[in-house]
Amino acid sequence: MPSQNKMIEVLETVKSIEAKKEKPTAEKISKELKLPASEVNEIMEKGVKDGYLAQRDGAFKITQKGIKIVKEHQQKYVHEKMHQIGLIGRITRFLEGKVINWKKHWRERHGLDNHSLQKFYNAIDSLKGRIEETSTIADLDTGEEGKVTFIVGGRGLIRRLSEMGLTPGTKVKIVRNAPFHGPIEIKVRGVSLALGYGVATKVFIKKVKEAN
Amino acid sequence: METRQTLTFALAGNANVGKSVIFNQLTGLNQIVGNWPGKTVERAEGKLRFKDKDIKVLDLPGIYSLSTFTIEEIVAREYIAIEKPDVIINIIDAAFLERNLYLTLQLLELDVPMVVALNQIDFAAKKGIKIDEKKLSMALGLPVIPTVAITGKGINELLEAAVQVAEGRLKLKPLKVRYGREIEEALEKIKGIIEEELSGLLKIYTSRWLSVKLFEKDEEITRKINLMPQGKEALRKVAEIISEVEKVQGEPSEVILASERYGIIRRIVNESMEIVSPPKIKLEEKLSEITAHGIIGYLVLICVITTMFTAIFYGGNMLIEGLEYVLIDLALPQTRRFLLNLLPEAITSIICDGALMGIVAGVTIALPYIIPFHLILGILEDSGYLPRAAYLMDNLMHKVGLHGKAFIPLIVGYGCSVPACIGCRIMETDRERFICGFEVVLIPCAARTVVILGLVGFYLGIHVALTLYLFNVVLIFLLGKLVYKTLPGEPMGLIMEMPPYKIPSLKNVLVKAWVRTKDFIYIAFPLIVIGSVVIEALKLTGLVWFLAEAMKPLISNWLGLPPVSGIPLIFGVLRKELTLILLSELIKLASLTPTQMIVFSLVTMIYFPCLATIAALLREFGWKKALGIALTDIFLAILIGGITYRLLSL
Repeated sequence: MPSQNKMIEVLETVKSIEAKKEKPTAEKISKELKLPASEVNEIMEKGVKDGYLAQRDGAFKITQKGIKIVKEHQQKYVHEKMHQIGLIGRITRFLEGKVINWKKHWRERHGLDNHSLQKFYNAIDSLKGRIEETSTIADLDTGEEGKVTFIVGGRGLIRRLSEMGLTPGTKVKIVRNAPFHGPIEIKVRGVSLALGYGVATKVFIKKVKEAN
Repeated sequence: METRQTLTFALAGNANVGKSVIFNQLTGLNQIVGNWPGKTVERAEGKLRFKDKDIKVLDLPGIYSLSTFTIEEIVAREYIAIEKPDVIINIIDAAFLERNLYLTLQLLELDVPMVVALNQIDFAAKKGIKIDEKKLSMALGLPVIPTVAITGKGINELLEAAVQVAEGRLKLKPLKVRYGREIEEALEKIKGIIEEELSGLLKIYTSRWLSVKLFEKDEEITRKINLMPQGKEALRKVAEIISEVEKVQGEPSEVILASERYGIIRRIVNESMEIVSPPKIKLEEKLSEITAHGIIGYLVLICVITTMFTAIFYGGNMLIEGLEYVLIDLALPQTRRFLLNLLPEAITSIICDGALMGIVAGVTIALPYIIPFHLILGILEDSGYLPRAAYLMDNLMHKVGLHGKAFIPLIVGYGCSVPACIGCRIMETDRERFICGFEVVLIPCAARTVVILGLVGFYLGIHVALTLYLFNVVLIFLLGKLVYKTLPGEPMGLIMEMPPYKIPSLKNVLVKAWVRTKDFIYIAFPLIVIGSVVIEALKLTGLVWFLAEAMKPLISNWLGLPPVSGIPLIFGVLRKELTLILLSELIKLASLTPTQMIVFSLVTMIYFPCLATIAALLREFGWKKALGIALTDIFLAILIGGITYRLLSL
């Protein structure tokens, strides 16, 4: 029985291949996810049965239902990354229980207005690849590098950060981390910038693998 | 002679590029520092003569962009768009060309005559960066003058170029900032809408700039358009155009434009800049390493703060003693004797004990602390240490609803509230400044420490005094959180540039300290003098007894203090240590019960800041907010005092 996690992995990959205007086949997906083709096939069959995928002449297509659970999964991932901010955050999260209405949650608990919410959805929609490939600046260690993918936050924050040079695709290097979730010093476009820990958890990046 | 016209130059640039150094090089002491009308943003203006021309130079606040993130940006943008200076001198840091050119591009879009000062080329050279200023000048279509602000190198050439541009002798072919095809098409459509329906705005701004700003969803411009008759309809159309582009590009419009601008900049930088040798700035990097270190950094911070305190308060105290001797022991009695020969006693009293005493209080309390404070703040600012301290303290400051930068004013507040209030301006947004100002006045300054130690510490023991301090910290923590949660606006985390260390220029520090002190004197002294005269008049007319009588229910019933202690509390507005001195004159301190001592100290600690602090609040926040803070503190003092009295007498 394929797990729900694997299912989402496959669905995300289907979505990202579709975004490249290519046809998602089991072969491509198994290559991308480094999973045996038999397992991928099994998962995709179940996906079709559950209504997440539609099969048309050998190729697969993600359905609205499939997009919905991928989106929910992506939001959950982003949310968890943003919430590594210590015990109190974790306790409130525990007390609040599972988020059912994400839109409402982003609006009410994180203060994103309609505009910034739309921005955030656009950003995860246009993501090339799986959400797990991104993480926040706060996740990186000293000396590591990454490329900005998107920023979750209010208008002021996003505008400020992009003006300071943190536009999508920009390379960022971690210069130093202060202890106990203190600010993080990064190098961007030749300038040293200190970001508070809270700000750093809102900047999502794709880690650049060290060239060996 | 009268036909000589005055030219206006405005200096614009990022923070930490040496803008104020260039300003001071240009104008020397010939400058006035004040606030922009209605804003807590410093406005510095100076005059100079260059080759028979009178030139007015305006130092715009340090900004990274011309959007509306900070009040500084709004101020700078409105000034350039509305006042239209003859020339903008854009100062850019050669060592950080890429980021600095972001503002330059936005200034180019405003379509104003401009000259670029390529500053700190010496430091860039040390970093192994070589910039071909001719190529940069070609790419931007503007004169580019290399300068080293601290030594004054290139300043004359800069002035010469600016004058030539102002007089039209130097024709500019400024770079036309153009974006990708899709964006340009959208901008063209927006331009059409503006020209058709919002032509009223074109008197101030160009249609190109307006369309770019609308595309970026600029709050300030949107707000203005919303008020126009056809504004809402036009905005709706614009929003449609924007969302189409956003859908195609998959990014919000402001991010699209920022990316495009940085793309243009990348091309300019690639053409005109090369890295010729590895950087030779080992010492600078070592210093950064040490001062931002997780353990050593804090030790350095403690040393710096201790030094700062010692310098401000020992320096200040020495000045005070000297000044008090000269003014109170020598000058005042002489003046009084002299005036008594000419005027009746009552008027002499008002002049001497009121007005003159007020001036003396101002001179002997505020000034001796303010001057060393400004000197030290200047050194910390110019050397680049301030951001390191903020970096280390960010975590802790979040606990009181602020971020790292607030650390400096808060710690200064333990010395004197006046420089601490002034120091709140290092916060970026109005919201943060206000929270900071609110917390700063609650911190017991040196004068309040005298009361706490002299009364509670002396009679009840040091541990009670320390408890009061601890209570104060908790109070600030709680109130800070409360204000943080209730005040409208987007709370800001720390986003701060960490500039490289520099050796501060002594001249620049001195000039800055002097003009800032001068500004304070102009604002605070009239208030201090008037306040002192009023209190002296109250005393002479006997109204003060009447007031004390009126306050009796509050003082003795609610706070449980001896009825006369209302009087020292009134006079404490002049200077806080007066409360204790006056109280000891009115009653035997030892006759107070421990509860009364604690309540009295608590009230003194929290209630109304002294006149000089109110003046500083007024100067920084305007009368509404100053009054708000003052009234809140009085209310708090009475509330907490009363509750404490009841709790302790259980």
